Amino acid sequence: MRARGRGTLRRIGAMARKEWMHIGRDSATLYFALVMPLLLLVLFGYALSFDLDRIPTCILDRDHTQESRGLAQHLFSGKTFEPAGYLAREDEVEPLFRQRKAAVAVVIPKGFGAALGRGEPARVQLLIDAADNVTAGLVLSYMSRFVDANNRVLVESVTGARPGFALPRVRALYNPDLRSTVFLVPGLIAFIQSMMGVLLTALTVAREWERGSMEQLFATPVGRFEIILGKLLPYFGVGLAQLLLVLTVGTWLFDVPIRGSLALLFGISSLFLVACLGQGLFISTVTRNQMVATQIAAVTSMLPAALLSGLIIPIENMPRVLQLFTQVLPARHFVSALRGVLLRGASPLSTLPDAVALGLFALVMLAGSIRAFRKVIA
Amino acid sequence: MTHAIEVEGLVRRFGEFTAVRGVSFQVETGEIFGYLGANGAGKSTTIRILCGLLSPSEGKATVAGHDVGTDSEGVRLSVGYMSQKFSLYPDLTALENLDFFGGAYRLPVRKRRARARELMIDVGLEPSDLTLTGAMPGGLRQRVALAAALLHEPRIVFLDEPTAGVDPVARRIFWRTIRRIADTGVTIFVTTHYMDEAEYCSRVGLMVDGALVALDTPSRLKAQFVPGVVYEVRGAHAEQELLRELPGVRRVEPFGAGLHVGGDERLQKKDIEVALGRAGARNASVESILPTLEDVFLAVVARKGQA
Repeated sequence: MRARGRGTLRRIGAMARKEWMHIGRDSATLYFALVMPLLLLVLFGYALSFDLDRIPTCILDRDHTQESRGLAQHLFSGKTFEPAGYLAREDEVEPLFRQRKAAVAVVIPKGFGAALGRGEPARVQLLIDAADNVTAGLVLSYMSRFVDANNRVLVESVTGARPGFALPRVRALYNPDLRSTVFLVPGLIAFIQSMMGVLLTALTVAREWERGSMEQLFATPVGRFEIILGKLLPYFGVGLAQLLLVLTVGTWLFDVPIRGSLALLFGISSLFLVACLGQGLFISTVTRNQMVATQIAAVTSMLPAALLSGLIIPIENMPRVLQLFTQVLPARHFVSALRGVLLRGASPLSTLPDAVALGLFALVMLAGSIRAFRKVIA
Repeated sequence: MTHAIEVEGLVRRFGEFTAVRGVSFQVETGEIFGYLGANGAGKSTTIRILCGLLSPSEGKATVAGHDVGTDSEGVRLSVGYMSQKFSLYPDLTALENLDFFGGAYRLPVRKRRARARELMIDVGLEPSDLTLTGAMPGGLRQRVALAAALLHEPRIVFLDEPTAGVDPVARRIFWRTIRRIADTGVTIFVTTHYMDEAEYCSRVGLMVDGALVALDTPSRLKAQFVPGVVYEVRGAHAEQELLRELPGVRRVEPFGAGLHVGGDERLQKKDIEVALGRAGARNASVESILPTLEDVFLAVVARKGQA
């Protein structure tokens, strides 16, 4: 038994060392493992932001009072809105929208200053380009935030006293500036990692079938368990390097905090990595064809990780059935665990459900690969 | 253990197709056993079954004392296998390939390095050669594959078309190596469709359409299937019918650039020359030759066609 165990280790070691040499000699693998993830991260990290700033805004001031000019000045004092022109007539607004030179217009009617002076409600009209409803919604919410703040200032300056109504004081925990990148980058890391992790191993077994080396391997006493494990180990190393790289660059470049423990981060990431690599190995074992394996790997890793992991679309907003389905996706658990550990400094206990799910998925994939591995040539 | 390989009524089917139909034979320890046949005759299937890579549909085969159906692990440990296609890793050097397969056979690290070097020298390779096997010429690659099959010092080695696509000089060197290995007491089971190579074998089995139709030493096969005399006739391709009419002629077959005319003792070289001269084929040449295994093969196939 003892001798047998040592033989197994020796064979796994030989497999792993050989696989390691393949990786080192194939520039495509290295490119996939280390360059692609960084490119994706930078590309998506900058492209995928739900924050808007420097919204081009035009002003149609019919009042021409100190108050109306004060409103515009206040509006442009922050980074959110940027002047896109001062107009004289209302029909000048739409051409600006069509040329995409402005996204919103603020119309200050005659009598605005006078009404304020009398202490009466003064009306302001907003015209929004709502062709893109997401942007329009954001502009609207920024505008109302601005109006609220402006009103408070007005009340104080007119009455000289603090207003007597309730004013909520909001403190956004974990993301004080409400930057969407802080929320998105952990998801993005999970997305890139699941795609790359699955792709890394999706080719390895299929390649041996295509080359014919699998037959030679089968003529030796190497077992399927040893083949699968020997293939997993070196890619685990590559995957960890990849993850470390993406995590470091991601948190540093996009200013994402790491509030939780590094050990927990490492543990969760390792589980997720084995899950992805296992998925790739399983695909490779079943398809025995590099082309088919790549296609299946891309579809089964990228799509769920992008759409069903909670990266962009909140899982709470999905239909019940879909919500249940997301439970089997490793990306979903990694997104949630990663956000927890990075942003909330989550404890090991609170990440346990995700960790268990990831571990189970990894186990099922590896067991599936070993089972699907037939040591015969059909 | 009396025989290195014992095969009894071996059948292998792939769905509707029967690749091997009821083959039986024994291979003695230390002999070079040649398995001859056209492509698709069932040679590779037989080899794969004997290496424990395929299970037999029917029948029984014992290799080095291990039953291939029930103890394929035991079979794998005691045999070396070199498959038809180059099946090592093209992105590794020869030594790295051998080192890996040594590990797969769980040889200890130090031992497998020494063994790999020793084998490379044995098969005529340079151990310090850092060329990736994918960039090696076919002849050298085959030697690496042969070395890989010998790593764990198997008592039996299966070589499936080891010289396919290799140039004649490299083939000759390769066979010299195989004979040297056989001299150390290792049993060699080799398939080929080069008839000249089969002459190196101590015994030859002929496979036609999944059946073993003849099995004996090359000389006895010739005596049995091509008795009498054989003449090689060149420059008289048009005169096949005429030659068939001569007394004592049994068969006339195109062979390479000429014709092989086989017959019993009544057939004389002079008679052929006279007949050809009368027919106007003045440039024809007639040589008395020894029958080759190709003659045997053609005779066997022809006989099977008549039956």
